[in-house]
Amino acid sequence: MDAAVARSNAVRRVNFLVAVLLVWSTAIVYKLVSIQVFQHQKYLASARKQQEIRIDLPAIRGSIFDRNGHPLALSVSVDSVSINPLNVPNASVAAELLAQNLNLDQRDLYEKIKWCRTNKRGFLVIKHKLTYMESERLRSLPVNWIDFTTESQRHYPGGQIAAHVIGGVYKKEQGAAGIEKGMDAVLRGTGGTVRMLTDVKRHGIDSRVETPSQPGNSLQLTIDERIQFVAEREIQAAVAKHHCRSGSVVVMNPYNGEILALANYPTYDPNTQPKQGDNPMSRFDLGVSVPFEPGSIFKVMTLSAALETTKLKPSTMIATGNGALALPGRVVHDTRAHGTISMEEVLVESSNIGAIKIGAEVGREKMFEYVRRFGFGQRSGIPLPAESGGLLRKLDHWGTTSLASISMGQEISTTSIQLARACAVIANGGLLVKPKLVLKRGDTPEPTEQPVRIIRPETAITMRRMMENVVVSPHGTGHQYCRLAGYTSGGKTGSAQIFDTKTRHYTHSYNASFMGFAPVTNPAVIVMVTLNGTTGVAGFGGPSAGPVFNAVATEALRILDVPKDLPENLPAPDDTQIAANNANDLPIAGLDGDRSILEEDPTANPANLAAAAWPQDPQGPAGNLVAGAPPSPPAYEGPVVPDFRGKTVREVVQESSESGLPVLVAGTGIAQAQSPQPGTPLTTGTRVRVQFRR
Amino acid sequence: MGKYLSLRDFDWPMFLITLAICSLGVLQIYSATGGTVWQDSWWKQIMYIAAGVILMWVVSMIDYHSLMAQLLPMYVAAVVGLIAVLVIGKTVFNSTRWIQLPGGLKLQVSEFAKLVIILLVARFMTELRSEVLELPDLLKIAGLVVVPMLLIAKEPDLGTSLTYLPILACGVFLAGMRWQYWAAIAVLVLLIVPLSYSVLKPYQRDRLVSFLDPDVDPKGSGYQVRQSKIAVGDGGMWGRGVTKGTQTQLRFLPVAHTDFIFSAFSEEHGFVGVIVALALYFVLLMQIVQNAQTAPDRAGMYICMGVAALLLFHILVNVGMVVGRMPVTGIPLPLMSYGGSSIWSTFLMLGLVNNVRLRRFVN
Repeated sequence: MDAAVARSNAVRRVNFLVAVLLVWSTAIVYKLVSIQVFQHQKYLASARKQQEIRIDLPAIRGSIFDRNGHPLALSVSVDSVSINPLNVPNASVAAELLAQNLNLDQRDLYEKIKWCRTNKRGFLVIKHKLTYMESERLRSLPVNWIDFTTESQRHYPGGQIAAHVIGGVYKKEQGAAGIEKGMDAVLRGTGGTVRMLTDVKRHGIDSRVETPSQPGNSLQLTIDERIQFVAEREIQAAVAKHHCRSGSVVVMNPYNGEILALANYPTYDPNTQPKQGDNPMSRFDLGVSVPFEPGSIFKVMTLSAALETTKLKPSTMIATGNGALALPGRVVHDTRAHGTISMEEVLVESSNIGAIKIGAEVGREKMFEYVRRFGFGQRSGIPLPAESGGLLRKLDHWGTTSLASISMGQEISTTSIQLARACAVIANGGLLVKPKLVLKRGDTPEPTEQPVRIIRPETAITMRRMMENVVVSPHGTGHQYCRLAGYTSGGKTGSAQIFDTKTRHYTHSYNASFMGFAPVTNPAVIVMVTLNGTTGVAGFGGPSAGPVFNAVATEALRILDVPKDLPENLPAPDDTQIAANNANDLPIAGLDGDRSILEEDPTANPANLAAAAWPQDPQGPAGNLVAGAPPSPPAYEGPVVPDFRGKTVREVVQESSESGLPVLVAGTGIAQAQSPQPGTPLTTGTRVRVQFRR
Repeated sequence: MGKYLSLRDFDWPMFLITLAICSLGVLQIYSATGGTVWQDSWWKQIMYIAAGVILMWVVSMIDYHSLMAQLLPMYVAAVVGLIAVLVIGKTVFNSTRWIQLPGGLKLQVSEFAKLVIILLVARFMTELRSEVLELPDLLKIAGLVVVPMLLIAKEPDLGTSLTYLPILACGVFLAGMRWQYWAAIAVLVLLIVPLSYSVLKPYQRDRLVSFLDPDVDPKGSGYQVRQSKIAVGDGGMWGRGVTKGTQTQLRFLPVAHTDFIFSAFSEEHGFVGVIVALALYFVLLMQIVQNAQTAPDRAGMYICMGVAALLLFHILVNVGMVVGRMPVTGIPLPLMSYGGSSIWSTFLMLGLVNNVRLRRFVN
């Protein structure tokens, strides 16, 4: 082989070798370019993904305050404690130390630590949510193997105050009920995240806040803690006294729908989680979620519709006959034969037959329309979960006796909130308000929805006067129970027999209720009281729910600083009259087959026959009724300074102008003190200075 | 002969490039081992390099012809050394690759045996009688190379063992061989590969499988490749900066200062850094090839080309492994990876190249 051939062979071989190496190198460099330049983002992302962990930053839950800024719900930080069992120098010492300071079982703890150590588990939670003392004790220990983590815990400083309004939270601070659930999104805030750079063994190296957590908004409720307290105290006392199942009270401002108190009994402490053996009813917000047949209270709606749509007037006479009315399939009874009475007396004495006759005048369509207008059969929109809209059948589904039933509050179910709202229509002059529970969301005032006019102001005022008579008239069903000391008031009683769904009969236990407002001329509060499951004479609306109304309304008006419009020293109710009322306060309820009878309002006062033509109450403030309250007779024969104490400004001024005695008025409200003292002989030029106070 | 040896003839460009690559390696070792139990490795590496320079100097002083004359005792010593490793060697991670020397040094005999193989191939090819390699000669030289290879594969260290092949292949290729033989070898390899699969250790099989499909077991044997690719990709164009590479610093990248040093380097210096490093290697190889061209005789040429082939194989396999183009083998990146044996053997090989260069004007 000559040299030239050998040489060309060598060149070929070298070229071949270079080509192979080039291909190989190119493949590698191409891969480098593709990974480093073109897929850089992808690999960067996967590096991030495995190197970083995201940790959620919990947001602080917003607080809840009452309308005066008293805290109802707060989130507080509490410690939880954990250890790394592998770092604990001595398991038995650790167990003893922790058990003693945290009230745990030492042997149990020791076993747990041992187990973790043998199984190489480096994390053991010792106890969640330590008390302040426990955490202080533990933090003062001179050891470094105890790890603390901070958790947030909901605390309700008032215990069971406004429990059903506030509701409560689950363990992880999610709203479970009440406003905590209804406005959970507002209270919760938004959690943030922290990105933590970790090494391959998941040890944190560096961290930074990616999105800071946004604390939840605080809420200021319309609830007044003081009124709420009174309402809860009174309803609890009433439930106990009348041995009934439950009760609820709603206190509302009639003009803007603000709920001042919403109390139910039985109740619970929202600081506790539900346990086995609790009364399940204690967690129900009865006033909002559990509808009932309203009974006679509903006659207010019937009469309002009649005043609006018919020519009936309060003085129009209604023939209620002999106390029994045959309807298709059943017979409706009154407590007794009222004979022919005025429409006003139908309300005051709560005549079922009268209400049915008035309802018949109104007619099906109008009746349905007005019941809807008053807000029944629909949710009120209060921001509480599980609100019930009650039940109102559609017009097509009304039976032959439905109009009669609804006229007296049967075949319809309503909640206390709905009834309070309906009562507010009468009280505020004909406007339907939306119940309002939240005053402020953070620092922003919650807008109040514009009320909607649903009846004429005249109708509302007429209804008010008639409802005042329920309280004021000696024959009124609320007469001896619902008169307030110092304030005029109006309302309507109801004692609906509870229908037993099992036996399909109306039972002899009642939904005793009272829906009222005070003062009459310019109502400041609506108080709606319901007691579920009262029995006997004392269980009718007037005697059972009336006193609750009385106590709650009086306290609420005092707390709200409402000027008194009546002298405080009311004449004592006539004993004989009370005896007569009680003797006649019996239900006359015959049970006709499984359809049962309609509810009667047995608290209806039997007016004696002689008083059938009982005179109309003088119009105007109820104060006139008790104007006869005599001042103590003066010993001095000549003209003396009269006693102005206990009178309203208006009365004092009127008296002053009538007698020509100059009076200096100081302050507002009720006359508390005067100078000169009453009974002082009058001399020419005397001026009386009267100090008024609320 | 001494009069021909002058400091001026020393291959200074090659030496400077070598030191440049070594500095990149030291910097990367410093960055990758900060805060770990190996954090003083960069200092040790400088010591190894200093010793390596001295070794290189010493080797270039002894005429390569005299070295080749002493080949038989050297070959026997290498084989005995490799057997000694198997008998008294130190076992780390289930493989026995090192002999523990006094003073805490661990000697990886297989790294030094490479030199013997380079000299062996050079001498064998020089002493060939025929123009091209005939079968008996081929079998003979193959047998001589395969003995130490088998001993190393037994350790087991398949990767290092395979690095002997390019030396042989390069020699055979340069000597020239009938294409029929190449074809026969190719067929033989195709037959042996499936057979040898059954001989592989389980971890070696896993490496092969995960090379073919890294996502089969991302937490297991595919882990290293996956992490390495993430590190390389993470670096991007300009890199994350020295001691800023998260894959490296957070220990996601395994053995970031030895076998996967190129991966750590890629992350911290980016594509630009990678190109610079590869360019340095390329210039180094070209310098060696140039020395082969100017070699005074065929023996010198074979030595230089053997060294070039071996280094190129190391670089291609290691970088290929880092980017996922080659299976994971424990092959270090010459001059950059941490380790005395690897550094010293590389400097010894460069010493051989210099040895040849210094004698280019002998005739």
